[in-house]
Amino acid sequence: MNVIVIGLSHHSAPVELRERFAFVEAKIPDALKSLRDSGIADEAVILSTCNRVEIYAATALTADAAVIELRGFLVSHDAFNDNLGDQLYSFAEPHSLHHLFKVACGLDSMVLGETEILGQIKTAYDLALQHGHTGARLNKAFQRAFHTAKHVRTHTNIQRGSVSVASVAVELAEKIFNSLGDREVLVIGAGDTSEKTARALLSRGAKSIIVANRSFDRAQALAGELGGRAVSFDDWAGEFEKIDIVISSTAAPHHILDRAKLEPLMKTRRQRPLLLIDIAVPRDIDPEVNFLENVYLYNVDDLQGIANDYLKLRREEMARCEEIIAEKVKPLLAAKSSADCADERGLHFSHLRKSAQSAD
Amino acid sequence: MFVTWFTDRHFFLLAVAFYGLSTVYSVFLWRKGFRKDDHANYFLLLVAFALHTAAMVQRGFSVAHCPVNNLYEATTFVSWTIVAAYLVIGLMPRLRFLGAFASPVLLAIGVFALMPALDPPHPAGAPPEFSGALVSLHAATILLAYGAFGLGAVAAAMFLMQQHDLKFHKLRAVLSLFPPIQRLEIVAIRLVFAGFILLTVGLAAGRHLPRPADAAYWSDPKVVWSIFLWFVYLVLLVLRRLRMPSSRGLAISLIVAYVFLLLTFWGTNLLSPLHHP
Repeated sequence: MNVIVIGLSHHSAPVELRERFAFVEAKIPDALKSLRDSGIADEAVILSTCNRVEIYAATALTADAAVIELRGFLVSHDAFNDNLGDQLYSFAEPHSLHHLFKVACGLDSMVLGETEILGQIKTAYDLALQHGHTGARLNKAFQRAFHTAKHVRTHTNIQRGSVSVASVAVELAEKIFNSLGDREVLVIGAGDTSEKTARALLSRGAKSIIVANRSFDRAQALAGELGGRAVSFDDWAGEFEKIDIVISSTAAPHHILDRAKLEPLMKTRRQRPLLLIDIAVPRDIDPEVNFLENVYLYNVDDLQGIANDYLKLRREEMARCEEIIAEKVKPLLAAKSSADCADERGLHFSHLRKSAQSAD
Repeated sequence: MFVTWFTDRHFFLLAVAFYGLSTVYSVFLWRKGFRKDDHANYFLLLVAFALHTAAMVQRGFSVAHCPVNNLYEATTFVSWTIVAAYLVIGLMPRLRFLGAFASPVLLAIGVFALMPALDPPHPAGAPPEFSGALVSLHAATILLAYGAFGLGAVAAAMFLMQQHDLKFHKLRAVLSLFPPIQRLEIVAIRLVFAGFILLTVGLAAGRHLPRPADAAYWSDPKVVWSIFLWFVYLVLLVLRRLRMPSSRGLAISLIVAYVFLLLTFWGTNLLSPLHHP
């Protein structure tokens, strides 16, 4: 029994094409049943996420025949009439198993080392298992893939650190403040990145969000979404006594906060540490403020630089992860070899028995 | 035969060797940006502590008193309290890296303590330099205080390093497994506060110790020095309460105060007729 994988991902196809082949979760069991009833696969799992659509099949067909049949199944299932060239990739053993393990470990993801994909694969596998579309081969392969992903997470740095500006900002806050639980965050200007950063801080336990924007309506709307409160743009300096983290991303052409303005405000804060995240371009906050005691200023380049350094560390771990995967796949391939040999011996003895019976 | 020649000083020498190994390993951790968890270093300091305790217990039995009877014993007691405090605090994973900063201090104190001049042999039948339960309380609480001040200075040093990395946007600031700087500041202040209480108790006990009729108390150099030290730490704790120096200023002050303590402790002891008749 061969494990074959066929699919498209963000590496091979643009989103306009991937979305054509995406499977709605509610319809996956029917698609799996159809795949098995057609005789193409004895066991199957369908993985459909925003960045990939893949079919993992255990089949008695030869690799070439299985790929042709699976390709035909995908194209007819989605009524796709155009030519699919390199956008669709396929692997047979051992590469199919390597691919499964790499995907589970986050090595094939858009953000290297991300962990969401493991949960998505587990969901896809559970769905197939619950509806009886998996068997010994895929059960073993997927369970081993999950175990390998956990091993890689524990023993390498592939998932270490943050690779987005928002999550780097949260990490910095956690390196400064004893606990985020009693920290207040001020968002000046209501842009996308500042909203994401505020959400990330809230998800890690920040106490509350105050939003200031030139448009008070926009400030109120964002504050409402974040469970915080809005203040007038002219009044944000008055909040400084209470706040610990400032996220600034206005469209102001000049500095809205400089050393002369911040120094007296720090006295009212009794020297508590203050983290300033300046996401704006041109910058909102004068870099000189970083020289003030207990003030920590990071601009968008600083945050992106840290994110890039983390990504570089993750890439350095790739070779080690691939070695681990190669080790973990070996027992699966060995088990398949001995199963194939047993099948051949079974066939041979069956042939001998038939010969003996016909001689009698 | 092994037992007869293997003395408490041999045990202490082994302990200092382990402080040395821990120091070398700490350099490795520093080179790696404190990204590796510190179990190995904790284990090295645990072994050193066991040997150090064995040394003190053996010395205590041999002199039949709490082993704070001369400068060698007092010095080893100070370093014992530092490592004991670390082993308790280091049970918290994020504070385990204090050991990497404490081990060079412990090695330095240990090497200094092993100088033969600090440990003259106890003449047979002669009373120890310090004796009595009140003396033991006085010496033990003051030396525990010095240990707490020492570990507070170590936490302050970690704070300064991490604060510098955060200010200058070093990757190590986020990559390392150091606790947040606010927690380091809290740990340093709490240790100093504990040390201050112990110092107060120790000085109060010392005030009631018997002394020769002609011995001046308030002008004794060690007494003057100890009261000065007590005031320094009182001022630092009050200023901290008033949030007057910045966190960085406070950390530097804690380190300077402890360095001053280390550099002048033995000298003032030798100059003191009450402590070195």
